[in-house]
Amino acid sequence: MRDIIISELTQGLQELARGFAHYLPRVIVMFIVAFVGWVIAYVLKVLVRNILRLTKFSKLSENAGANELLKQAALPSSTELLSRFVFWVAWVGFMLLGVSALGIVGLQEYTSRFFLFLPRLFVALLILFFGLLAASFFSRAALLAAVNADFGPSRLVSYSVRVILSIFTISMVFEVLGVAEGTLLIAFGSAFGALMLALAIAFGIGGKDLAREFLEKRFAKAKREEKEDELFPL
Amino acid sequence: MAEETLLSDEFLRQLINVGEVDILVGLPTHNNARTIQQVTRAVQAGILQGFPRERTVIINADGGSQDRTREMVTGLAIDDVWSASKVYALRTLHAISTEYARSPEPGRALRTILAAADLLRAKVTVVLSPESTTIEPGWLQRLVRPIYSDNFDLVSPTYRRQRFEGLLMRNLLYPMTRAVYGYRVQEPYAQEFAISSRLATDFLNQNIWNAEWGRAGPEIYLTVAAITGNYRVCQAFLGVKARTNRNARDMVLALRRTVGALFSSLDRSLAVWSAISSSQVVPLVDGHGDVSPEPLKVNRKRLRDMFANGVSELEPVFRSILSPATLAEVQRIAALETAEFRYPHEVWAKTVFEFAASFHHSVINRDHIIQALVPLFRGRALSFLLENRNASEEQIERNVESLCEEFERQKPYFLEVWNHRK
Amino acid sequence: MPWTREPGWYKDAIIYQVHVRTFFDSNNDGIGDFPGLTQKLDYVQELGVNAIWLMPFFPSPLRDDGYDISDYTSVHSRYGTLNDFKTFLDTAHARGIRVIIEMVLNHTSDQHPWFQESRSSPDSPKRDWYVWSDSDAKYRGTRIIFVDTEMSNWAWDPVSKAYYWHRFFSHQPDLNYDHPAVREQMWAVMKFWLELGIDGFRLDAIPYLIEREGTSCENLPETHAIIRDLRRRIDAEFPGVMLLAEANQWPADLRLYFGDGDEFHMAFHFPLMPRMFMGLRLEDRKPITEILQQTPEIPASCQWCLFLRNHDELTLEMVTDIERDYMYDIYAQDKSMRLNLGIRRRLAPLLENDRRRIELMNGMLMSLPGTPIIYYGDEIGMGDNVHLGDRNGVRTPMQWTGGWNGGFSAAEPENLYSPLVANPVYGYQAVNVLSQKSTEHSLLSWMKHILAVRRSSSVFGRGAIEFLYPANHRILAYVRRVGNELVLVVNNLSSAAQAVELDLEPYKGNILVEMFGRNIFPRINAQPYFLTMGPYQFYWFRLRRI
Repeated sequence: MRDIIISELTQGLQELARGFAHYLPRVIVMFIVAFVGWVIAYVLKVLVRNILRLTKFSKLSENAGANELLKQAALPSSTELLSRFVFWVAWVGFMLLGVSALGIVGLQEYTSRFFLFLPRLFVALLILFFGLLAASFFSRAALLAAVNADFGPSRLVSYSVRVILSIFTISMVFEVLGVAEGTLLIAFGSAFGALMLALAIAFGIGGKDLAREFLEKRFAKAKREEKEDELFPL
Repeated sequence: MAEETLLSDEFLRQLINVGEVDILVGLPTHNNARTIQQVTRAVQAGILQGFPRERTVIINADGGSQDRTREMVTGLAIDDVWSASKVYALRTLHAISTEYARSPEPGRALRTILAAADLLRAKVTVVLSPESTTIEPGWLQRLVRPIYSDNFDLVSPTYRRQRFEGLLMRNLLYPMTRAVYGYRVQEPYAQEFAISSRLATDFLNQNIWNAEWGRAGPEIYLTVAAITGNYRVCQAFLGVKARTNRNARDMVLALRRTVGALFSSLDRSLAVWSAISSSQVVPLVDGHGDVSPEPLKVNRKRLRDMFANGVSELEPVFRSILSPATLAEVQRIAALETAEFRYPHEVWAKTVFEFAASFHHSVINRDHIIQALVPLFRGRALSFLLENRNASEEQIERNVESLCEEFERQKPYFLEVWNHRK
Repeated sequence: MPWTREPGWYKDAIIYQVHVRTFFDSNNDGIGDFPGLTQKLDYVQELGVNAIWLMPFFPSPLRDDGYDISDYTSVHSRYGTLNDFKTFLDTAHARGIRVIIEMVLNHTSDQHPWFQESRSSPDSPKRDWYVWSDSDAKYRGTRIIFVDTEMSNWAWDPVSKAYYWHRFFSHQPDLNYDHPAVREQMWAVMKFWLELGIDGFRLDAIPYLIEREGTSCENLPETHAIIRDLRRRIDAEFPGVMLLAEANQWPADLRLYFGDGDEFHMAFHFPLMPRMFMGLRLEDRKPITEILQQTPEIPASCQWCLFLRNHDELTLEMVTDIERDYMYDIYAQDKSMRLNLGIRRRLAPLLENDRRRIELMNGMLMSLPGTPIIYYGDEIGMGDNVHLGDRNGVRTPMQWTGGWNGGFSAAEPENLYSPLVANPVYGYQAVNVLSQKSTEHSLLSWMKHILAVRRSSSVFGRGAIEFLYPANHRILAYVRRVGNELVLVVNNLSSAAQAVELDLEPYKGNILVEMFGRNIFPRINAQPYFLTMGPYQFYWFRLRRI
């Protein structure tokens, strides 16, 4: 009986060893891929950082108002953030590749899903960036126009424009990412609709005099009452 | 290569019929029916009195008028076919018109006039404003003679103005042009001027017509081109400047057309103006500009409120444009009451220069920079009004002169912010 | 002397061809001379030309108007001294005028010391400098050039009792270019003048340098080798100097003289010239367009030389028999005008003194591709005297004023080297520089104007040419182009007014600006461009996009 135990043990150990020998190369491959991936991801990070520095990306993001937000959230600068992001995405990608080398079936699916997700992530980032940029630009434009037209609540107008555009942008980002699409759509729709209705009522009641004057000026060519002398700058 | 042509076939045909001319009078118009007849009659009289033997043509570059402006101009031609005017003239006087676009574009209008002048080889090209209801026949002589007889290249106008008119000109455009470019041209933005054929051809071939600011404000570019190039510039006194009806929303347009063009011209000619350290007098032929004592009603409180409002509401914008010291000063001024309100020369010069430097560096969108300047200008205008409300004409002249000297003094500072701002 | 020669200067040149003997006499011996020519350089400069081509001024027995040279490195005593020449050269350069001189390589005068030595004995060291033979049978079949005076290309020399070869007059023995010493000697001659500072050579009679049995003895490969060698030496030691070939050949043969840009810089376009006269008379552009179509492409650094008339007869060698007969019948009905397969008349008499035709021919000369040459006197419309023998009728004294000797010389009229043209129409009282200088619409003023217009654009000297073929064959129209510059030339070859429609669609959108008055003409669109032309009228239009 001792022989049987020994032989079974031996066989068991041999099988284990065989299994080990079978998987060991793959594990080694995985580590190699992970290591190489790390190197490549690092190179990419440095490359991206240099490109962003060259194209003065930080200035652009300052215009977008992103720098302010990042500072408030105690995050590093946008250039740094983006390059780190690129690093992590690249490395995670390589690691998943390495893992898939192990040949574990279930993991394959997740790996491919990750890679399919990347383009959408990229698009979402673009939308976020340009959306915030546009929000900043148009809010400033609204501010200037309101101030120069001597329109009372100019800050309010500017802020509203920024908020509306930002919300719009974020909704688009979520939709692209596919996160809580339906909910966001309905929420945004109803909020936007309510806002518009409120504005319409406000302008309708409060602005009817203004509207009448505008129409008169356009179509009746009536003599405008002489306002008090304005400046003649030229 | 399909190139958009500047002159339509129809206009070209008319130009062929006119042939070579000695004097070309250009009138850029848009819905000016109210005033155009008066202007063209004065031009016609000016030609008949001052230049009866010269070959002349009046060219109207119209930006889509709907009120028969064009017909009013062409109706003043004198020839052997249609002589209902009963005016005697030795030669045919041509008056032709072209619609260069459906809506007014100052750059395109001027370019059309210059292209016509180039093709017709006009010795002198005069551009007049269609709103000059105060125009007299003598204006034409005063603009044309220096070029025709004395070989000048640009004749810039000077006017008799109401003492509180032209504040942008006297507080910004004139001091800055003088300090930066070294020439004391009183009206660097002029809607009435005369140029020689040499300057017209050279200016036509410059590459400003497609630039954004060149399209909106070619007049400043012309003045800058004349004073930075190898051209002879002089000024001529014309008369009273006509007042045109303006309201608040036109302020932004006015600044775009003048200050925006001036700021953007700095980029192109840095090598020239950075080497200039003093200004020279531009000869004035025929009389001198002065001020008339007519009163002008201005709502000072409103001005002050718009200024203060602008300073507070636009603080985040100003923080990108002005230096912290200047911004602090401006905020201090905004807190003053009307009675003690002063926007000192030094602070104003620094404000303008920092705006120009920020414009150069495009710290934010350039058009926004110009718009942001408007409330500050109102503050300066108010300060000017208050400083000079009881001043005589000579005193006002001297105050303007001292403001100019302040601008010249601050020029090294300007070069600093131009170069060091990242 | 800081005189520079930019490469390709000859492409922008306008050349004035003049013989020093005919221009102005400063020492009152009745013969024009270098000091006189120097005095008149102001006139030449004012005319608007920027190069002078001098006819031969070397010592010579003058039996062929100086083309029979007896001393290559000196100046004929009648025209002055070598120093006078140098003064002239320097003065011309100071006025921006380049100087091109003749170099007759092919033959010398029989009075030249070299020939005297060569003929003296068969053992003379210079014996083989010329082409001797015991019989006149060699090179049989070679054509005779001066058919009216020579019967053979061999002449018997009684002194050395042998025949010597001469392609031209019998007193002009051909040099033997197979002999290396001859080649070196002629290079030394050229170098002599190059070191003085001249800007170019017109190499006379260049196709005939080498003879070979069984060939036409013209345009042989060995001749081209000699030319290439000369060019190489010039480029190495005197860069910028220009070589102009006188080779009266068909275009295909002419092409060879440019080599690959390593032989001549320029060559006369002999075949074009008579066809211009033909086209004018036929009122048909065909002769002109055809010869230019047949003209081969030449290397980029090379240039054709165009002319209307020169010191020789209007040569009709390079036309067909039909064409020659036509030309004789039209232009030289009086047989005394015909000479050596040509017509010996000046421009104005050839064109019957018709001002419009003179202008049109000059207009074509100035606008066809090539460097134009103006023969002295044609700018004021001088006439000729066919009774003066040989080609001397077109080499009469320059007519400066209506006074004594036409202002040419203060000598007695009987002592002039040639009588002046004195008839009422072309004589010096009617046709002279003084009277034309002050009138705005004289031929001289017009010539100055057209030269100024030509100089205002480099498209004429350097541009490509593209012919338009309007249905009206009396209209010769073409577009010249260099870079972005475009010029449209339209010529009416007819004596009557014409209407023409030109297909200018490739140039759609351009405005035409007429170059003389600078007035604008309608813009080109997709429709055919309609023009009306007066008799013999021409237009030069600059195309402009605005």
